[in-house]
Amino acid sequence: MPRRAIFTLCCTLLGAASASAHPEIEAALGRLNARIAAAPTEAGAYIERGELYTRHEEWTAAEANFLVAAELAPAHPRLDRARGALALARGEPASARQMLDRAVAVSPTDHEARVLRARAAAALGDTAAAARDLAVVLDALPSPPPELILFHVGLLPPAAALVQLEAMMARVGPALVLQLRALEFEEATGRVDAALHRLGTLATQSERPETWIRRRGDLLSRHGRAAEARLAYAAALAAALALPDWLRTSPDTRQFIAELRPLVNPST
Amino acid sequence: MNTRLLLFALAVFAAAPATDAATTILRGPYLQSATPTSLVIRWRTDTTEASVVSYGLERNALTSNTKAEGITAEHVVQLTNLKPGTRYHYTVGPVAVPPPTPATEKKSAAADAPPKNGVFSFVTPPVVGPAKPTRIWVLGDPGTKGKTQEAVRDVYYTFTGKKETDLWLMLGDNAYPDGTDADYQKAVFEMYPQTLRTAPLWPALGNHDAKSANSITQSGVYYDIFTLPTRAQAGGVMSGTEAYYSFDYANIHFICLDSHDSDRSAGGAMMQWLKADLAATQRDWIVAYFHHPTYTKGTHDSDKDSDSAGRMNDMRAIFLPVLEAGGVDLILTGHSHVYERSWLLDGHYGKSDTFAAAQHVKQTQDGRADGTGVYKKRRGRIPNAGEISVVTGSAGHAGSATKPPPLNHPAFFISLNEPGSFVIDVDGLKLDAVFLNDKGAKRDWFTIVKE
Repeated sequence: MPRRAIFTLCCTLLGAASASAHPEIEAALGRLNARIAAAPTEAGAYIERGELYTRHEEWTAAEANFLVAAELAPAHPRLDRARGALALARGEPASARQMLDRAVAVSPTDHEARVLRARAAAALGDTAAAARDLAVVLDALPSPPPELILFHVGLLPPAAALVQLEAMMARVGPALVLQLRALEFEEATGRVDAALHRLGTLATQSERPETWIRRRGDLLSRHGRAAEARLAYAAALAAALALPDWLRTSPDTRQFIAELRPLVNPST
Repeated sequence: MNTRLLLFALAVFAAAPATDAATTILRGPYLQSATPTSLVIRWRTDTTEASVVSYGLERNALTSNTKAEGITAEHVVQLTNLKPGTRYHYTVGPVAVPPPTPATEKKSAAADAPPKNGVFSFVTPPVVGPAKPTRIWVLGDPGTKGKTQEAVRDVYYTFTGKKETDLWLMLGDNAYPDGTDADYQKAVFEMYPQTLRTAPLWPALGNHDAKSANSITQSGVYYDIFTLPTRAQAGGVMSGTEAYYSFDYANIHFICLDSHDSDRSAGGAMMQWLKADLAATQRDWIVAYFHHPTYTKGTHDSDKDSDSAGRMNDMRAIFLPVLEAGGVDLILTGHSHVYERSWLLDGHYGKSDTFAAAQHVKQTQDGRADGTGVYKKRRGRIPNAGEISVVTGSAGHAGSATKPPPLNHPAFFISLNEPGSFVIDVDGLKLDAVFLNDKGAKRDWFTIVKE
């Protein structure tokens, strides 16, 4: 190992050790230190230690460990991903992207690397590249979480985003946050009736339908369908009044009812 | 072999887990995602084989069978069309248990306790809505695999005696040090086998679990081991992820958040889901749980921005206001290896030096019937009516005795540097909670009554 790298590492580790006072970090660090002491040429241990420092925002110590790993095993399959994650966390997307390009080239099925590269690309304004990476990941994962789906559709034009959302909901189920985003896209693309239908479905599926029915009224009102809006508000009011006493008389339901009454009868 | 021995052998054979003689069950069975009418039973074998659960209302008549597709060593079988609030007996194996004969019926009815012969039982959750006395066992940061974890477990077993645990929560860091499959095997599956096969476990993700799991790709050990509701199968609003979810049990709504790995921003998916979930529930009680505490001065310090990369700050400043406005009654967390229990609080979202009792304590009593009085709340959705925050992160170990944590956060009524677990009993509109230390002492207790 080059002396310069060892020197850099020693200096930064000393600094980091004083900064990381938490016992759990120290415990994990202790285990890794012991591993490195036993096998000082094991690049994977340096990468793990670098990742530990990255998680705890000890950037310099993280970089120093990755530097040593790079000296020991420049082609280690996890190294570029780890360094890319660090660069991204430090707000250096261009540098992150270069490393993550290499990581994905080495391991095309490394989904974490692709997601990180998508973040870097998005930060650099290259939404098309970010969307491509996310599409690959979404196709590959058996049950992609809403966060990833929303990240992807946020990079697409509204009409394409809506198609993608529908496709994902057909696959993973109509998670509420996906439906909320679909409602936004439906309204943005002028598909008001589709949005109304979606709100109707949400209302019938909910134990507290009144809020969804009121949203129907709000949507109708925003699009100049005043008479239909009043009917929706009346239905929302009826649903709220039908709640059991202990819920109907709660402060937020009382306020909800008070807000609805003038919408049902604008003259009052 | 005489006739009696032969009959006994037949009875044991009929009631044993129907695995091939060469197959060993390495893990489980364990219960997941329980609803009033369905339940997932999982187990692991040392060789691949079919997955069959035989079950029935009588221990000696396991007349129903459900088989999952495929041949595997990781068995996941979902039972459906169950009756709410009903005890079922079951066994697992590669083939269905043969129908009982008069001889096996007679013998197995007289046999020893179920675990001895591989026939176990569970009680399905009751119909959602109406109250039912419910016992909940809460373990924060249990997975040290050591004597302390065993002591905490055994104290609870003695405490609960014959009273059954209806469900149990793990608040994260369920298996140290890295949440690997081997860690889980020792820290969870070999530590709590009897509770795993009789009561559904509802876990949260901790930082140590996240070393071997990734919420954004829903992959890794934690996500492989647990089957959690992504489609609101057990109540609540559909989250679309196992990282955070909700479920109902009788008149209680439980919300599990991912304080470690999922987006914690105010506009993030988890927050949007949480708001909708809180708005939709009609249950009498709302219990939220996640790993990183909103307040602590234990083995972590919620005042330090750098501690846990700001996760405690996020949960306090971003999520706590929404939880309180949504009428949450109890917030359970771990991460800090101590026990800390707050006053009935509302509106404290800053560092500990901004805490003002006159402003943030809603009721000044200690919450004890034998003290200055229980907490009283109005029934219904009352925003900001006050919640109790409990940090119970010492089910596997407490903080250092030689260098004890400060335990001086003013939001807490009591702070203890002791191993232990937390037990909740909900009976209608009354919630009793107790912290049991590893020596069997009740070190804290409180009651909330809704009127």
